[in-house]
Amino acid sequence: MQPAVLEKLRSIVGAPHVLTGVDLSPYVVEGRTPEAAVFPGTVDEVRAVVTLAAESEIPVIAWGGGTAAAAGVAAARAGLVLGLTRLDRVVEHEPGDLTATVEAGRTVAALQATLRERGQWLSLDPPDETRATIGGVFAANASGPRRQLYGTARDLLIGLTVVTAEGAVVRGGGKVVKNVAGYDLPKLFVGSYGTLGIIVECTVKLRPRPDDERLVAVSFDRMKDAGATVRALMASDLIPNAIELLDGASLRALTASAPPAPGAGASAALLVGFDGVPDQVAWQVSELGRLVAATGGRDVREVPAETWPRLARAAAAAFPACAVMRLSVLPTQVADAMEQGGELARGRGMASAWSAHAGVGVVTASLALADGRQDLGVVAAVLREWRGIARGCSGFAVLDTAPLAVKEAVGVWDDAGAAGRIMRRIKEELDPKNVLNPGRFVDSI
Amino acid sequence: MATLTADRKRALRTELEGMLGRGAVLSDPDELLVYESDGLTLFRALADFVVFPQSAEHVSAVVKLAHREGLPFVARGAGTGLSGGCLPAEGGIVLSLMRMNRVLEVDYDNQLAVVEPGLVNLHLSWKVGPKGYYYAPDPSSQQACTIGGNIANNSGGPHTLKYGVTTNHVLGLEVVMPDGEIVWLGGKTRESQGYDLIGVFVGSEGTFGIATKIVVRILKKPQAVKTVLAVFDEVDQASAAVSEIIARGLVPAAVEMIDQLTIGAVEDAFGCGYPRDAAAALLVELDGLAIGIETQAERIVAACRDSGAREVRTAKDEAERQLLWKGRKSAFGAYGRVSPAYMVMDGVIPRTRLPYVLRRVNEIVDAHGLRVGNVFHAGDGNLHPNILYDPRKPGEEARVVAAGAEIMKVCAEVGGSISGEHGIGLEKADFMPFIFSAADLALMQRLKHAFNPQGLCNPGKVFPTRKSCGEAGAVAYRPHAIEEQGLAQRF
Repeated sequence: MQPAVLEKLRSIVGAPHVLTGVDLSPYVVEGRTPEAAVFPGTVDEVRAVVTLAAESEIPVIAWGGGTAAAAGVAAARAGLVLGLTRLDRVVEHEPGDLTATVEAGRTVAALQATLRERGQWLSLDPPDETRATIGGVFAANASGPRRQLYGTARDLLIGLTVVTAEGAVVRGGGKVVKNVAGYDLPKLFVGSYGTLGIIVECTVKLRPRPDDERLVAVSFDRMKDAGATVRALMASDLIPNAIELLDGASLRALTASAPPAPGAGASAALLVGFDGVPDQVAWQVSELGRLVAATGGRDVREVPAETWPRLARAAAAAFPACAVMRLSVLPTQVADAMEQGGELARGRGMASAWSAHAGVGVVTASLALADGRQDLGVVAAVLREWRGIARGCSGFAVLDTAPLAVKEAVGVWDDAGAAGRIMRRIKEELDPKNVLNPGRFVDSI
Repeated sequence: MATLTADRKRALRTELEGMLGRGAVLSDPDELLVYESDGLTLFRALADFVVFPQSAEHVSAVVKLAHREGLPFVARGAGTGLSGGCLPAEGGIVLSLMRMNRVLEVDYDNQLAVVEPGLVNLHLSWKVGPKGYYYAPDPSSQQACTIGGNIANNSGGPHTLKYGVTTNHVLGLEVVMPDGEIVWLGGKTRESQGYDLIGVFVGSEGTFGIATKIVVRILKKPQAVKTVLAVFDEVDQASAAVSEIIARGLVPAAVEMIDQLTIGAVEDAFGCGYPRDAAAALLVELDGLAIGIETQAERIVAACRDSGAREVRTAKDEAERQLLWKGRKSAFGAYGRVSPAYMVMDGVIPRTRLPYVLRRVNEIVDAHGLRVGNVFHAGDGNLHPNILYDPRKPGEEARVVAAGAEIMKVCAEVGGSISGEHGIGLEKADFMPFIFSAADLALMQRLKHAFNPQGLCNPGKVFPTRKSCGEAGAVAYRPHAIEEQGLAQRF
């Protein structure tokens, strides 16, 4: 980066808020070091930084807690990291409206703590709540087990402020829970990975905290039975807030990290959450026991609340190093996909671990890269076969984590088809100079 | 004003008939009149052709022809829209999707259905009802409006408080793009990859393309439903009760408010059991598990009493529940008893501003020498003030339009929105600057350009134009026959 540009950045945000040289080590992604990292303290500073970067043709990488920094393929030119953690205020929380407006850089945990004081919460439980920021969670469309009942970012984000590639401040949506005025810009930015604009402020829909919540584990000797149980559960009157399906390897990882946990040695387990008034939770827990008795479930037991945040990480936690793929399939196909995927890996002499938000068909698979001696060609072959499983289920698969060589061989994103062309046109309209996080996204956007 | 020469029009008609078959193309002005407006009769425009495609391929062929000829085109469902959103530009083609009304597939295990856009909303719930499922978005016109129209407008309804609006229930769309290409956005899985194209398409008011297949979620019917009627002597008490219910940690399925004028009209028409002397009533519905629903109902009752309700009662049985809902859902038709005409407004405010905004609405309407009835989705702050007037009295209609604009400004001032479910269409295009800056609108224009670069797909909607400015104030709402019978209504 030219010294003159660096000087200008320092004059915009103040010298202490511009990092260079060795201070950039936390922002190195896949061996690529950014040219600088800059931390604006106001929306005006964000827009000044983006405007300057656009003029200087330096790519801008929006950065919250860095939890999704390795998503996609890092840009060929690492560019300028635009850190949002100084924008961390709760702008407004009106409990009677069940809405809150918060700056993008506040962590999810910090926001939830504020909301908890008034008995409310943002019904989204992404991994790494203490690091992940609100803006980052929306940009990456992160979610967790409770999406079974409460949906995902798109169901909760009702308004936002973004700084566009040209440095304009744009608001979309609003702060009311129902709103059809104009196009739904909040939806456009959910899951856009910083490629269309920098999210600087979000307005979200809240819910009252439930009176009670319990998480129940059920073990199975056969994955097939666990799958049949999910189907029965979905057809029942029960209203679980989470239906997590784990294979044996993920279950062992969960058990190892914090006993007591569900029956070790089982080849599959379901972890089912319930919330509501105490009567409802108790009734549902007992109904679940009745239901699984008929489908081959055993060892029904309540597990501690601390298990929740580890659920989504169970598959990745099974191995010291792994490639992680996320498969989207129909709920009824989850157990089969997990079993089939595990067999394919074993057939090539590799270990894998599987977990799923089973009721919504989102499967996480991790492939062990334990000792670094694996033939990357074999790794890529397994991952391609897994993607084939997802496609066979009329779904798709995204490679969340993998060494760069594997990402390049397999492709991070799945084929977006004709929709990809529309996405590309949107990108060209909103970021014609391709300044925002170039090359990271679907269809090389 | 059609710009086509008679010869050209004849040739195009022949070509369209070749694609769609005879009987699928209208071009006679008398026949076209039926399609000159939607539920908002304030605006009218005549198309050159109204066509009735029966497949995505038909739609694609018509759109390609329009594209080739540079003719504007617009999709139309049942025509129950309330913002002029499906009006043709002067000239061009209206694609009526009413012959594409099949349920193509229901997958109960995965809780989804694939339907065609012309399917009537309620017919989907009828179809899946016997197996214990339903389609959640329930606009008050659900006996007539189509799912395709719901997609265009991101329609809501009373029960969206708990279950969300249309966009929260759509998984996939087969879309004919404005250049005629057939594209799938999303599919049957809960997630889709890349930008949320479904999220932006739903609610784009027909300006991004035409949905020809729609994958929606269907939900299990709740085990139990409980309906509570709370009666208040002051409107402010009813408003306060709405916030009080929320503050006690409850998310009812619906919280609807009905004011005195509306209660009088409903009781005259249908006798649903609302007390005529009440200043306002709240209809609160809880649903979910049978166990625990009593506990929750008690909390609702307590919240209403603590806010000053003089009477709170729970519907004893399904018959009483249906009667209470009939009162709510038939309000629109019932206004016919108290006024020759009325104009329904649609605005949204933060729930906590209800007392202030309702007072302002009354002041504004009073100042214009008019009357207003309120019946609306109080739980999510979605107002529907209905301004009553007599179109035969000179100048009264213009006063209604002026009062409506002032009410929209109040919604904007308190941080609300100018539409909660009816859309912008032609009606509110010029109100967009109340809540959006030039930069906000410019970004929306770019998004539109990405989908609809030629601008032929439903032109003139959503964005402010000078033209729509001068046309307002001619004719407002007239009740439709099915509204007068209390079968369906507009909000």
